[in-house]
Amino acid sequence: MSARCAYLDYAATTPVAPQVAARMAQCLTLEGAFGNPGSASHPYGEAASEQVESARAQVAAAVGAQAREVLFTSGATESNNLAIFGTAHYYRDAGRHIVTARTEHKSVLDPCKELERRGWSVTYLAPDGQGILDPERVAAAVRADTVLVSVMHVNNETGVVQDIAAIADRCARMGRARVHVDAAQSVAKCELDFGALGVDLMSLSAHKAYGPKGAGALLVSHARGAHLTPLQFGGGQERALRSGTLATHQAVGMGAAFELASSRWREELGNIARLKERLWHRLSALDGLARNGGAAAVPHILSVSFEGVEGESLLAAVQSHIAVSTGSACTSAAREPSYVLRAMGRDERLAESTLRFSFGRFTTDADIDRAGEVVTRAVQRLRRIAGA
Amino acid sequence: MSYNELTRRHFDAPARVGSLAGPGCFRGSAGSPSQGTWVQFDVQVAPGSLIRAARFVAFGCPHVIAACSLIAERAEGRCAAPCLPESVGVLRERLGVPVEKLGRLLLVEDAWVAALRAAVRGCGIESPPPQPHI
Repeated sequence: MSARCAYLDYAATTPVAPQVAARMAQCLTLEGAFGNPGSASHPYGEAASEQVESARAQVAAAVGAQAREVLFTSGATESNNLAIFGTAHYYRDAGRHIVTARTEHKSVLDPCKELERRGWSVTYLAPDGQGILDPERVAAAVRADTVLVSVMHVNNETGVVQDIAAIADRCARMGRARVHVDAAQSVAKCELDFGALGVDLMSLSAHKAYGPKGAGALLVSHARGAHLTPLQFGGGQERALRSGTLATHQAVGMGAAFELASSRWREELGNIARLKERLWHRLSALDGLARNGGAAAVPHILSVSFEGVEGESLLAAVQSHIAVSTGSACTSAAREPSYVLRAMGRDERLAESTLRFSFGRFTTDADIDRAGEVVTRAVQRLRRIAGA
Repeated sequence: MSYNELTRRHFDAPARVGSLAGPGCFRGSAGSPSQGTWVQFDVQVAPGSLIRAARFVAFGCPHVIAACSLIAERAEGRCAAPCLPESVGVLRERLGVPVEKLGRLLLVEDAWVAALRAAVRGCGIESPPPQPHI
């Protein structure tokens, strides 16, 4: 890895905070809490169980939930799958319709598509040009047989924030549909209060908030009486909703990361917002730019489309200098323009020529200035090659 | 996606970017930016049917830009004939172009051949000599 390559891909993942890594390491060895948290018959198991429950409380406290509402999972993808399949199957006799959005993460869209194959029907709502879902339109899509509404909080490509409280409120007036929120990108990025949002289920990820990969949680509202059918069996851990030996170090890492994030995010966000505007100012020297999401985006994500440059060439021109994501998914040699940007009305070419910059705790002014310089030079060069 | 050394070199510093105009200059293009790939070649043909200069502009991926650069660089000094200095297959192999992108190389070939056909017509070259592929 080049030390000169500036990391601007914090929405993809974040480095584990050193103090979090240290806490995790203490759960792995003979001297630490290595025991099986389900082994209540000896002190090793008890020590591990105490660590897990402490982590559960940390996660809950960071997002305004109760500890008993936290189910540990392997990450947001599993949480989303459990929320969607678990709800659909538990309430299958009440109805077989789901409402979601075209701009959701694949870990929501693909389970919905699988449910369609199994006989459920799904309504995929399109956002407006800024990526926003109108809560009234969401509620209008709810039918008598709708059992679940699943909408993400912060979009991973554009950073656009949905008004989840309003969506939950409008949906509650329409019937009994459960509301699930994919909040993988939200922790340490914006205000997040599970209890106040009025939703039934919320998916969380550890590695987006300086915790470990392979750790996540699904929050299941106790007050709202949400129920799920489990997807895996054997052992009855996590209230029999997610069987399997708990990974103590992963849970502890997530708890420590969330505790750290909740104590720091407001302070960090001011600097991150400044860095984002600094980069936008640098890029604004170019013409033919579109800022996706605009003012509706969280401070840690800046999505910019560049007219007149080909997407793969743009990435190839910058990738040895800065680590960023593009507006396309690359599968072998074929490139698919971002379905999120397409749903927002961007044409294919513009969607492909999009870069997502995302910032975090360790981003510096020098990283930003380097990104501004490298991208400006690349765009100018590619436009010259294209005869512009 | 990763690129081989030749592609990287021609993409990072493409040769012969630009356009030509004036007596003895001819143009050919193929594709469109809205479809993801567009290439335009200009060639200047000297008396005696030799390509004096070649230039290109392109909207495309690194493989397309590298292929254009390589073709324009190698064409100068060669006889004006409506075929590539080296075949699409050889180009694909040398530049390490994945098979899924073969269509893009064919667009590059179309643009080049169109420019050379215009040159052959414009210069009244009746019977272009055969061009051995490199």
